[in-house]
Amino acid sequence: METVKIKKITALWIVVVLLLFVVSIILGILMRLNQGEIIHHSPVTFYGNMTTHGLTMIGIWFVAGMAGVNYLMQRYVTVSLWPNMTGLIFTAIGVILLWVSTFIGDFHAGWTFLYPLPFKVMWASWATPMFLCSLTVMGVGWLIWSLGMVMQLLKRYSISQVFAWQHFGKNPKVETPPFVLISMITLVGVIASLLAAVVLLILYFMEFFSNSSFVNDALLMKNLTYFFGHTIANEMLYLGLAVLYELFSEVSGRPKWKTTWYIAVSWNLSLVFILTAFFHHLYMDFVQPEGLQIVGQLASYLASLPAAGVTVFSVIIAVYRTKIKWSLTNLLFFIGVAGWVVGGLGALIDATISNNFVLHNTLWVPAHFHTYNVMGNVLFSLAFFHWFAMQFANNNITERFAKTKLGLLILGGAGFLAVFYLGGAESIPRRYSNYPAEFPSAQVLAYVGAIFATVYLIAILFFFLNISKRCVKIMFSSSS
Amino acid sequence: MCKDYVFIFLIALVFSTVNVTAQVTQNGWKEERQVYQKVFDAKLDIDEQRSATILQLAQTKPLIIAMVFTRCTGVCSPFLLQFKENLQMIEKKNFNVVVISFDTRDSLKDMAMLAQIFDLKTNPQWTFAVTDAIDSLSSSIGFDPVWDEKRQQFEHDAIAVGVNTEGIITKKLIGMRNSKDLELLIKSIEGAFSPSYRLPGKSNLFSCFNYNPQTGRNMPGLGLLFIAIPAVVTFLLVVVINLLTKNYRA
Repeated sequence: METVKIKKITALWIVVVLLLFVVSIILGILMRLNQGEIIHHSPVTFYGNMTTHGLTMIGIWFVAGMAGVNYLMQRYVTVSLWPNMTGLIFTAIGVILLWVSTFIGDFHAGWTFLYPLPFKVMWASWATPMFLCSLTVMGVGWLIWSLGMVMQLLKRYSISQVFAWQHFGKNPKVETPPFVLISMITLVGVIASLLAAVVLLILYFMEFFSNSSFVNDALLMKNLTYFFGHTIANEMLYLGLAVLYELFSEVSGRPKWKTTWYIAVSWNLSLVFILTAFFHHLYMDFVQPEGLQIVGQLASYLASLPAAGVTVFSVIIAVYRTKIKWSLTNLLFFIGVAGWVVGGLGALIDATISNNFVLHNTLWVPAHFHTYNVMGNVLFSLAFFHWFAMQFANNNITERFAKTKLGLLILGGAGFLAVFYLGGAESIPRRYSNYPAEFPSAQVLAYVGAIFATVYLIAILFFFLNISKRCVKIMFSSSS
Repeated sequence: MCKDYVFIFLIALVFSTVNVTAQVTQNGWKEERQVYQKVFDAKLDIDEQRSATILQLAQTKPLIIAMVFTRCTGVCSPFLLQFKENLQMIEKKNFNVVVISFDTRDSLKDMAMLAQIFDLKTNPQWTFAVTDAIDSLSSSIGFDPVWDEKRQQFEHDAIAVGVNTEGIITKKLIGMRNSKDLELLIKSIEGAFSPSYRLPGKSNLFSCFNYNPQTGRNMPGLGLLFIAIPAVVTFLLVVVINLLTKNYRA
């Protein structure tokens, strides 16, 4: 019975995520059209859209990864419904509060809401507490969900087993599946990032309710913001990777991947590196000690090596000169890995201190993080969505138009990202609602970016219609 | 074992208390007040024939405004002397200095005498002036001298205020400051960004660093501990959950 409910709630998650994704893409296109001077929004509308777009995107692809991992976790442990349900309810309330604060209250402090911007009220006075409440509600829901999943894993595996420490030596007696290892590593990182958000929000509320008789330290707030923001944005990618490790070989008709010593070591190291990589967001902050800046650069480099290196190696080994059964699912995984690598390289270039001083405030930054999301993480989750919908389909209708969908997705995604990179190379600043005459190519690039994003949107609409139709059927089916 | 924990706890408590105490200072925010605000456009009397408003003076070149009074027996003279010497060391001088008296008893003659004493009367970069709108000007730059009837003196800060060509206050320096700080002030009126970090005050307990103006060094503050809290608590939570679920595994 619990399995059926989890299947239904997963289907609901998928429909909600895809619906919100479509809306968020439209907001993104509107922003690029505004920068291209094709439409004319006020800066308030632009930055309101930017706030909503950024936070909604981070939120939905995080919960998409969580829903996927939660669903597949049933293969290894007994999964309870309540943490998942709590996550869903809290996310729904949080998103409503967020959208009300931005669309009605005009809150527009940006998706990173860097301190002290939320207190420089240029919107309805209630919008700031509502915005902070929205983050609190979502954060609490996700924390409960994550802790619930950790608890379920630890009911079956001991700490050493769940982290695959027995694989460090030869001939381990107990096998830890890669999916379990990566899920645990990721969930621990997620919990740490959400606790950073808890500390951050407590400090925000303390200042808010003290009528500024208590004020915060800007450096502390920025560190906490990126501890939360950077870490959760990376962990959601790892959730996608956990799904990839579980499904890629399976849908390709290949033997299941096993945990080896280097997979165990690399993922354990990832946890350490990912929790310290966020310091690279503070290179511009002159009061941050030089030691932490160096830690930021080293951790950024090292974080990419174990997880990315091992995963890319595993995927290449799996497909190179091997007869595998290609389907939309494993093609999405495969292209997603490529997108992740490209975006990751862009991130590494930006995480190098000397480069960061040139690139940090340019379009290079949105270029790289859009790459590993638009063409990386989103594809991992789409692969899961497609696989999930196919599992319960009576026929092969979902494989129809696969080439068209993939073609549009790659064309739209690559074009959209290419103009971002060109903008970065041209030193076009990011976060501008309108570009001054000093950047003559900026408007054209923004316009071209909007066109390619529309192509991407069309591809997503294909996926949305196809997958949602199946998921709605699953939600309302009475049988298992 | 228990004694060890108590000892560690006490040490941590003492460390935290010392930190919090060190972070609470009286005047931490003064230099930030009124920065990026427009300076009051006071009409200044420069000599018997000449007068100009602050914005008129700023339009040609950005200004550094220094506030003094001629009967000062305290900081004014050493402040002006050091200010003059520090400025001599700076090569680029695309700005003017306006020394304004905040004592209504001061006349143009008193200010001219002051300029002469400091050998600045003929220096075109320096202007000595008085104004009838001193209260509005003082308030617009966040300068609040207090009259001490007993000593017949003002209790006041040594203050230098940078004003750019648009009349915006870009930076303030309070106290006797070195040439490095002065260079930052000059950069700010030229439109260059000069980084600053808010000094801890009574209301700000969790700074990542505490700046010691005597040594010029930053010491780690309580705020840094907050960055470590999420990772530590996560580790503890995993350990606790592991203990709670022990029976299920068995």
